Amino acid sequence: MPPTTASESKVAPRHPTTGCSYGYPNEKAFDMSPHRYAPRHPAPAYRRRNGSFVRLVGVVAVLLFILFYSFTRGPSSPPSSAALSFFSFGLLGASPEHSFQLETVRYYDLSNVQGTARGWEREERILMCVPLRDAESHLPMFFSHLRNLTYPHRLLDVAFLVSDSKDDTLGFVTRAMEAIQSDPDEQMHFGEVSIIEKDFGQTVNQDFQSRHGFAAQAGRRKLMARARNWLLSAALRPYHAWVYWRDVDVETAPFTILEDLMRHDKDVIVPNVWRPLPDWLGGEQPYDLNSWQESETALALAETLDEDAVIVEGYPEYETYRPHLAYLRDPSGDPDVEMELDGVGGVSILAKAKVFRYGVHFPAFSFERHAETEGFGKMARRMNLSVVGLPHYTIWHLYEPSAEDIKHMEQMKREQLAHEQAEKERAEKAQKVKETFADTTGQWEKDKAKMQSLVVQEKQETQEAAGGDAGAAGAAERVAEGVETPTADSGEETGDTP
Amino acid sequence: MARPLGAVRLRKANSAVLAVGVALVLFVLLLVISSSTPDFSPARKAAAALHPLSPPTSPFRKSPAGAMLQPPPVARYNLNNVTTTARPLENRENILLLTPMARFNPAYWDNLLRLSYPHELITLGFILPRTREGNLATRELQKRIAHVQTQAPERDRFKSVVVLREDLDPALSPLASQDERERHQLARQKARRAAMAKARNALLVSTLGPSTSWVLWLDADVVETPPALIQDLARHDKPIVVPNCFQRFYNARTQAMDERPYDFNNWIDSDAARELASAMGPDDVLFEGYAEMATYRTLMAYLAKDDDNDDDEGERDLHEEVLLDGVGGAALLVKADVHRDGAMFPAFPFYHLLETEGFAKMAKRLGWEAVGLPNYKVYHYNE
Repeated sequence: MPPTTASESKVAPRHPTTGCSYGYPNEKAFDMSPHRYAPRHPAPAYRRRNGSFVRLVGVVAVLLFILFYSFTRGPSSPPSSAALSFFSFGLLGASPEHSFQLETVRYYDLSNVQGTARGWEREERILMCVPLRDAESHLPMFFSHLRNLTYPHRLLDVAFLVSDSKDDTLGFVTRAMEAIQSDPDEQMHFGEVSIIEKDFGQTVNQDFQSRHGFAAQAGRRKLMARARNWLLSAALRPYHAWVYWRDVDVETAPFTILEDLMRHDKDVIVPNVWRPLPDWLGGEQPYDLNSWQESETALALAETLDEDAVIVEGYPEYETYRPHLAYLRDPSGDPDVEMELDGVGGVSILAKAKVFRYGVHFPAFSFERHAETEGFGKMARRMNLSVVGLPHYTIWHLYEPSAEDIKHMEQMKREQLAHEQAEKERAEKAQKVKETFADTTGQWEKDKAKMQSLVVQEKQETQEAAGGDAGAAGAAERVAEGVETPTADSGEETGDTP
Repeated sequence: MARPLGAVRLRKANSAVLAVGVALVLFVLLLVISSSTPDFSPARKAAAALHPLSPPTSPFRKSPAGAMLQPPPVARYNLNNVTTTARPLENRENILLLTPMARFNPAYWDNLLRLSYPHELITLGFILPRTREGNLATRELQKRIAHVQTQAPERDRFKSVVVLREDLDPALSPLASQDERERHQLARQKARRAAMAKARNALLVSTLGPSTSWVLWLDADVVETPPALIQDLARHDKPIVVPNCFQRFYNARTQAMDERPYDFNNWIDSDAARELASAMGPDDVLFEGYAEMATYRTLMAYLAKDDDNDDDEGERDLHEEVLLDGVGGAALLVKADVHRDGAMFPAFPFYHLLETEGFAKMAKRLGWEAVGLPNYKVYHYNE
């Protein structure tokens, strides 16, 4: 603010604020200005007319201009918005529809996204890939895990692939992610969220039995591999340093899993995957048998197989004698212990994005007799990348009972019911028995009383026969009455029992 | 308050002159506005991504400076609706044009601008090495890109452009040593082709977007193609289509410009090659075009019919197809689905093949076939 305007200022203004005081101190102080033009008469009529003519010409020109402008903008943009954008252009820049500028050129240096052990400090972005199929029932659990992840959410881009789903997986995912992105807590907001739909026409059912049956494995694994590749190729961007694959049916995992795995600074790393079991099955069980080290037996077996055959782990049909990550778990072991792997499971894989940039993917064909995630591990090894598992760092897969388990559980349930039924019957019987024979003491008393009265009678008879003593007879009668009272009660009780 | 002097002048002005003046000012204003907005059509703007975190195959809205960036919206892509047909133009199918580049060749760029497929459906992707030569090429390229994307008329501007720099160690970079003699030495071939495969994969997997229908691989040294290259190749509706790559040269014998076959990686397999391969160790690679290993494969380069004999016949056979077992990368149109299924450029010996030749093999393992067009020619730069 110019100091001259402040009348209350202690410093006297050096220059007058008004432009036309021509050396005189102030207009207020000295009103008359000798140089001021003052018309003697009101403006003549022709001039007034002239003025209105000029205004008219101006208005017409402006209108024509607007019309012309809206024409040149093309027919697709509504004239109102064109006019608006004209008026606001450069001044406000706020035409709601098309005022923004487009950026068409992007430049990225891939050496900046190599992936390091402490990625969160270097703002490294992670692409989280989640393949989905008929998974609606698991989604609430999954999204609670997602919210809880401690890796900065703004550095996490989440991509879902929804394929061949008959339930509302797509709708659920969309709603859940929209809710997260509009969460009042900014820390919750993720980076890019892509939901990709693609149907492969999968014929294999998603229930446990058909998913895990041996015969279905090769075809199923190849389809899964295709789905994973489609998801990755559509979602990986030049700014991603890491890719994290996560299945939705993980029940328990540390919130810090991304940092925990990243710290190892390996090209591909997987945790151990177990699943909890009901007590009758032993309480817990190794789940993911696709993480293994190659064995001589398996290599020899691979040699004998057809080019298109796929070895699947964990089935008695292929005896590979491979050391499995899952079986090496020690619950009290050091979670940082590493184990070199050749095949990996897909429940939770953290890989550097450069692994995929080098061309490693999930083979949807038989690659060295393996497909999908196991083939992925094999291919990464083929390119001399590090593939590592953590035997003592465990996450827990959801327990879904198999058909056999269900049968067994039904059997157990039946047995339990039968057991309960038997228990109940036994209890009832005991009760009945107890109630039926509960008056034994009363009976005894009664019998005793009867016998006593009999004895008394006998005595009386003998006494009468002997000339009789009235006093003694009265006493005997009193005794008989006293004894008889409980006998009557127990008689009533007996009558009550059914 | 003093009256401004303008009123004095106004009295003297002629109303006609004033009207002309106003019109002139408005006209100048219009000129200024229209020249200062190198703007895109509403249709293009409507198709743009809302956030910088988006597929690079589409442009995005520049947020006004200082504005708070909103969290990215939930974007849904239905890949069931992405078509890949023989009529890409009618279906407005998006093309991703990918070029690994070591040196900038102005002729390549000019040829690119001549492509008749609508530029608003083409995304360009480049990958350059981190060498001095690569820096130079990047600068040249970016200058051209900036000019086309902001100054050129809108129909010349491409949908979007992605420029990547390689992450490989510059010393090992395939694109680093581009000496013609050194480039083709057999001993260096394996490392070169493996690294080249990595560069191609990096470019592909980082830029392939959810709306891409076709991927066109075009080498930075391909300087002459028919303008309708994309339409012509897509017309075949094949998973992988390869034109024949030739080179123009001055024939000293006939004292005239002539052409000769250039790309020998387009071939049909032979029994001899299969035998050779079966005797090899798992890490050995079978290369084409070296006397050290005679493969006796049928090379598409030599299947081209001579135009000189009969022009009409040559014209008729322009779209003749042959099934190929190995392909080269000079020009290569691939359905995006093939890449999405996992067909990559192997950087390791895959059935004793590397890079583009291995790619054809991998695609075949996935159930996709490659066809070559022996008489449809593109031309390689002659150094």
